Amino acid sequence: MAQVMMKDLNKKYDEVHAVKDVNLHIRDKEFVVLVGPSGCGKSTTLRMVAGLEEITGGEITIGDRIVNDLPPKDRDIAMVFQNYALYPHMTVYDNMAFGLKMRKFPKPEIAKRVQEAAEILGIQELLKRKPRQLSGGQRQRVAVGRAIVRHPQVFLFDEPLSNLDAKLRVQMRVELKRLHDRLETTAIYVTHDQVEAMTLGDRVVVMKDGWIQQVGEPLELYSKPANRFVAGFIGSPAMNFMEVAVAEANGALWLDTTGLRVKVPAPLAGRLGAYKGQRITLGIRPEDLHMATSNDPADYSFDAIVEVVEPLGSEILLDVKVGQSVIVARVDPTVRAKLNDKLRLALHPERVRIFDNKTELAI
Amino acid sequence: MNPKPWWAKLGHASLVLLVTVYCVFPIYFMLVQSLKTPREDVFGNPFIVVNPTFENFEELFERQGEVRGFVGSALRRSYPFLDWLVNTLVIFAGSVAATLVASVAAAYALGRLRPPGFRWWRRAIFAAYVIPQTLLFIPLYQVVNTLGLDDSLLALLLIYPTMALPFCVWMLSGYFQHLPREIEEAALIEGASRATAFFRIILPMSRPVVVAAGIFSLGTVASDFMIASMFLLTANNQTVTAGLGTFDVALDELAAVAGVNLLAIPVMTISALFARGYVRGLTAAMVEGA
Amino acid sequence: MAAARSAGRARDIRLAYLLLAPTLLLFGVVIAYPVGWEVWTSLTDLSPLKDGSAEFVGLSNYRRLLVDAEFWRATLVTVVYAVVTSAGKLALGLGFALLLARPFRGRALVFLAIFLPWAYPAGVSVIGWYWTLNPPTITAYAPFMGHLKFYVDSALGGGAWAFTSVMLFNVWRGSSFIAVLLLAGINSIPPELFECALLESKSPWRRFRLVTVPLLKPFLALGVFLSITSAFADLSNVWMLTAGRIVFPLVGTHAYWLAVKVGQYGPASALALTMGPFLLVVLLVLFRLFDRAERSAA
Repeated sequence: MAQVMMKDLNKKYDEVHAVKDVNLHIRDKEFVVLVGPSGCGKSTTLRMVAGLEEITGGEITIGDRIVNDLPPKDRDIAMVFQNYALYPHMTVYDNMAFGLKMRKFPKPEIAKRVQEAAEILGIQELLKRKPRQLSGGQRQRVAVGRAIVRHPQVFLFDEPLSNLDAKLRVQMRVELKRLHDRLETTAIYVTHDQVEAMTLGDRVVVMKDGWIQQVGEPLELYSKPANRFVAGFIGSPAMNFMEVAVAEANGALWLDTTGLRVKVPAPLAGRLGAYKGQRITLGIRPEDLHMATSNDPADYSFDAIVEVVEPLGSEILLDVKVGQSVIVARVDPTVRAKLNDKLRLALHPERVRIFDNKTELAI
Repeated sequence: MNPKPWWAKLGHASLVLLVTVYCVFPIYFMLVQSLKTPREDVFGNPFIVVNPTFENFEELFERQGEVRGFVGSALRRSYPFLDWLVNTLVIFAGSVAATLVASVAAAYALGRLRPPGFRWWRRAIFAAYVIPQTLLFIPLYQVVNTLGLDDSLLALLLIYPTMALPFCVWMLSGYFQHLPREIEEAALIEGASRATAFFRIILPMSRPVVVAAGIFSLGTVASDFMIASMFLLTANNQTVTAGLGTFDVALDELAAVAGVNLLAIPVMTISALFARGYVRGLTAAMVEGA
Repeated sequence: MAAARSAGRARDIRLAYLLLAPTLLLFGVVIAYPVGWEVWTSLTDLSPLKDGSAEFVGLSNYRRLLVDAEFWRATLVTVVYAVVTSAGKLALGLGFALLLARPFRGRALVFLAIFLPWAYPAGVSVIGWYWTLNPPTITAYAPFMGHLKFYVDSALGGGAWAFTSVMLFNVWRGSSFIAVLLLAGINSIPPELFECALLESKSPWRRFRLVTVPLLKPFLALGVFLSITSAFADLSNVWMLTAGRIVFPLVGTHAYWLAVKVGQYGPASALALTMGPFLLVVLLVLFRLFDRAERSAA
């Protein structure tokens, strides 16, 4: 059990600056997910914590030890890899026992711990098999088992579910979450899948181009994205963005573009004052759009033409054309919409996000 | 697919038979000769043996220095065949072991540690095959003499591994290069040192390719005739290959063929036992390495 | 940034050189020094029969080669030998590998049979071959072999029988090695590709030419290279099977004869070295093929 601190962490390769000034404090027993597109530096950060990459600048602390110069084996961590990295010539039992053997645990203790871990993961039957005789999901469990037998201070997960098929991924995700609740060990988890990040993380760290974009609890990232990148990355289907002009008319501020003219809701109006006459980016999540009814004020609704209908059962995704841009709306499954239908959509004024065009920061 | 017509099946079967006969006949023929009595050798059917005997093999182990009789007016020598066998065993085992140690070490360096220009190192080592060995024995003789190894088995232990190394290093380093780095990293995190990770994880999981390298080096070592006969001069220091080369065909044909078989059969058996692994290793090395 | 290479990397590189040391040491002693000696000797008139130190003669050994009919004859014979045996090995090896590629009853045994000629130690099998093809006159099959030799020699010239037997032996052993190598290659091709090809074309020949051959190219290239180099380096087998009575000299055997029997180290070295550049070209072509395979795989 330990906290992990990263201070001004940097990683430079010959040409690439992969991780830039990362500062992160991961609390004891916390499950933190690093998420971002490939090449954002999340894996490199994790590998620096593991000791598999040398640190170019900054400091990493695990527990109360600075680990910069410690080899991986002395950091008291365990890691689960995307390709599982099981030892192909060893049985499942030996795979899981390897770390304990290396640390000179007595035999009965090793047997006890492996049994215990195998029970937790439901792989008691597989202990005598070789990795190549296992399915992807089973290999994944063994890889996790190998990590938990040692009772390390920190678990590191490097995209552990990426090689599984969609159904198994959801199942393993739930199991990992349960496992963390049970073991209460600090965990750092890297993924490119924002759904995984949202469902697993106590806190989520969004990264891009080596920079941390935002750190926060999942719902905080969803409802208060710090910038346009985070807003677009978190949430599925992704947030719609439209470039609009800020205009003043009738004593109120309006967001204006071809085919769309909505009134700036009161809480935003104050912050938008400085942008009068400029262009900004408007962000609306698909789930914050609905079919306009007579109750919706005209100030918050607009016309749209249906381009694609995607019925998903519990909901319908509509790709609609508004002026020049195409946006996605997530509407009630009872809605009957056909290609080229003209319909009227309304938005939730208080859930609209707006971003500075230059800095891309949320206003 | 449709079941094959009878003529296709027959064609396939005869093709298989033909191939098998082509491959095995010379081996069979030599085996048959070695089991013949001199009488049958002269008067019998060359393709079969009616009264198989081991006397040709026994003859090889007759006490040294004894006169074995005359053929015409020529004196038949006896040979220290047992010494040759022991020498051969030492040379073969030693060379294969040395080849494997050196090539695994070099391949790990090139495939995993990747010093600057490792691709060129790998090519340069493989390129040793373009050097014609024709005359190398003359300067090699100087080298061997300088090292005080003339007429010594150690000279062969220096030369044989070098002949097998280029291919083995090339194959093994290609394989090592494409092993997922995570396997080694997992071991490092689990508490292994780099050396432990190598000996407990990398080496055991590479076993088929190491076996392939071993079989290749055995094949290389066992195919040499020239170097053995040039560098081993005293009868007691010779290998079976070099020794048999000194036989007089006209006098000792049957014993010589027996000697050929006595060496060939164990070597062939060992290779055959590992034949599947050899193919698997080559495949693994090529898929991963190329 | 290359200058700021980390301490760990520096340690890795040091270890790498340490691990390469045994190999490089062997290469230095067994290959580099002798080759250096050979290059130097080819520029001198060194001879064990001559007193005093060797004199530097520049390129005259090479110049003399160019006008030496023996040299051109040996070169021609070598090229014929290499081409014929390589073609034979490759054709048979490829055929064997394709035969083994599909399952049939007894395949394991046939595989073993095909593997054996290479596994049979050539150092002694060559002795066996020699006595089989040139048996002592008293054996039962000696008259038959004698007749065969007579016919071949009278049809193709003296020594043709010996030369043919060398080629036969070389092909017999080499086809086994290439068959196993190509079988390994075929095993490495994902079966889906063959199934795909089956849908694409009905003609087996087209499938073979358009799918199997391109995918096997690196293996074929490796096979050809090893076959050619072994043909060039095949001194001992030639020497053995013809018992030194060489009527069709290869470059290698001719150089050997010049050095050992005539004692002309200088010209012999020059002669032996003429093979190097040719093999180097073959090797470069091989590397190109492998590079392409690696790139398309990535």
